Amino acid sequence: MKATRVFQLTALALVVVSAVQVGWWLFDQRAYTLEKVSAANAAYAEQTAAAQALLDSGASAQQVQQLLPQIVVSGAHAALAPAVEQALRTEEQRRLNQYAWEGGFFLLALGVCIAVIARALSAEARVLEEQDSFLALVSHQFKTPLASLQLSLETLALRAPPPAAARTLIDRMLADLARMGAMVTQILESVRLERGRVDWRAEPLELRAAVTRVVTQLEERARSERITIANSIESGLYVLSDPLALDVVVRNVLENALAAVACAGGGSIALSARAAVGEVELSVKDSGVGFEPAAGARLFQKFSRLGAAAGTGLGLYIVRRLMELAHGRVAAHSEGAGKGASFVLAWPAAQEPQR
Amino acid sequence: MSAADARPTQVLVVEDDPHLSAGVRENLRAEGYEVSGASDGEQALAWLREHDCALIVLDVMLPGIDGLGVCRTLREQGNNTPVLFLTARGDPADRVRGLEAGGDDYLAKPFHLQEFLLRVRAILRRWDWYRNASATAATAVLRFGGNEVDFRAFRARSWNGEAQELTEKEAMILKVLAEHLGEIVSREDLLERVWGYDVFPSTRTVDNFILRLRKRFEQDPANPKHFLTVWGVGYRFLVEKQP
Repeated sequence: MKATRVFQLTALALVVVSAVQVGWWLFDQRAYTLEKVSAANAAYAEQTAAAQALLDSGASAQQVQQLLPQIVVSGAHAALAPAVEQALRTEEQRRLNQYAWEGGFFLLALGVCIAVIARALSAEARVLEEQDSFLALVSHQFKTPLASLQLSLETLALRAPPPAAARTLIDRMLADLARMGAMVTQILESVRLERGRVDWRAEPLELRAAVTRVVTQLEERARSERITIANSIESGLYVLSDPLALDVVVRNVLENALAAVACAGGGSIALSARAAVGEVELSVKDSGVGFEPAAGARLFQKFSRLGAAAGTGLGLYIVRRLMELAHGRVAAHSEGAGKGASFVLAWPAAQEPQR
Repeated sequence: MSAADARPTQVLVVEDDPHLSAGVRENLRAEGYEVSGASDGEQALAWLREHDCALIVLDVMLPGIDGLGVCRTLREQGNNTPVLFLTARGDPADRVRGLEAGGDDYLAKPFHLQEFLLRVRAILRRWDWYRNASATAATAVLRFGGNEVDFRAFRARSWNGEAQELTEKEAMILKVLAEHLGEIVSREDLLERVWGYDVFPSTRTVDNFILRLRKRFEQDPANPKHFLTVWGVGYRFLVEKQP
């Protein structure tokens, strides 16, 4: 990485120096041409003056023209031959044009080079910065459940609590472990998405079955946090997606809703779906803590965390990336903090597969 | 703060992670402290407007106002309740930032339960000492060279009549020095009595605080009459300059 950077910076410096040189060459050549033209003009003026002097001293027109072939004499008046004057002007124009084109072309080419290298450099700097903040954030995210885990274990060791209190500590530790496990999965998923290493196999999938599978796995957690999940998705709606991606998307959106409702001290989540033009829409409405309406788009950015949700800030980012891969869309809406939220996910509709 | 004397020592735990918060609170309760909890900065500040406590255990990364902001706000309001920071970032720069915000100690996550409890005890002990040492009318006020320091209000009036707001650390250093009037107090002793162990990386910090005290209370800070340096050892505090 470092060698590449040195190479890029050197190339950038060379290209910039070349551009300055071309600019200087252009300026110099133009000045030189103008100087030459004015010198030639001065020489011709001298010849004209000499011819006039000869004429005035009584020399014949023929003699003058023999001596000074570029001069024409009409009556008693000497002047530069129009063809010579024209040739000089044409030559001047030709050279200036040539410099303008050649120099312009080189400068353009060098400018493009500079832009390309500068772009590569700034993109690389951005990637490095993102990786740094990613690492910092990831390690930070892990330290809190780790601290909680260590605290619970040391409490068990230090205080030998009665069975009921020990049970609470063990449940807490299991939940912390599950949280760290989920974080590892999410981080790996987001890194895979980032690098484009996704094995995407789109196939028609029945939405109700896919959602029900996830809901079943989350039901116990929902119950323990006093959350009811109402699933009114009708069967027979098929979407085109990768089965794993569909599972991850539905799970992340539902877990997000669960966290939002749990923060509000319990409530409900309503799932519904409908067929629209060429697509199938899934709507997830929760009675959770909600968010400011303007924050809707920011939710799907990497590491955006609203409120006190103890997530990685990656769940909804993964949802957005996977929906992009599925050629679908996702949007979030809330009337404001404390007013619940609704997420709408839309996939391309698919035909029921023939068996 | 003085109202809390008779009751069990009150501690406020400000932590947004529910598990960690519960664990910390349960352990403090098991140690005999009376514990309250807050899960964000606003909640903590609101609680502190209504209540006193002997110690705040404060997470740095909080939703809304972060822990550093909470601590700074408290200090600006003249609230000198000691603060123990808990944070996921434990590098020295973050540590210093926490202490500059007015924190008393800094513990990086994940931490050992025993160490946590030890630090809590150490902070409370330092404050107990300070409060006891400023309890009587005679010990609450210190007069020297035209300066007057009120240890209980963390206020002072300097020789030129200027009103001074003391930070808790300045007041504590002054207290230690006043208790050992005319004696040599080493930098290490000052560090130990005021900050506890390994909080700051060096004794330079003590020197900086002495410079600040000189600026506040010496007529000519370059030629101190009260806060004297004993080269290679520490400091000596004098009420009047000796010949």
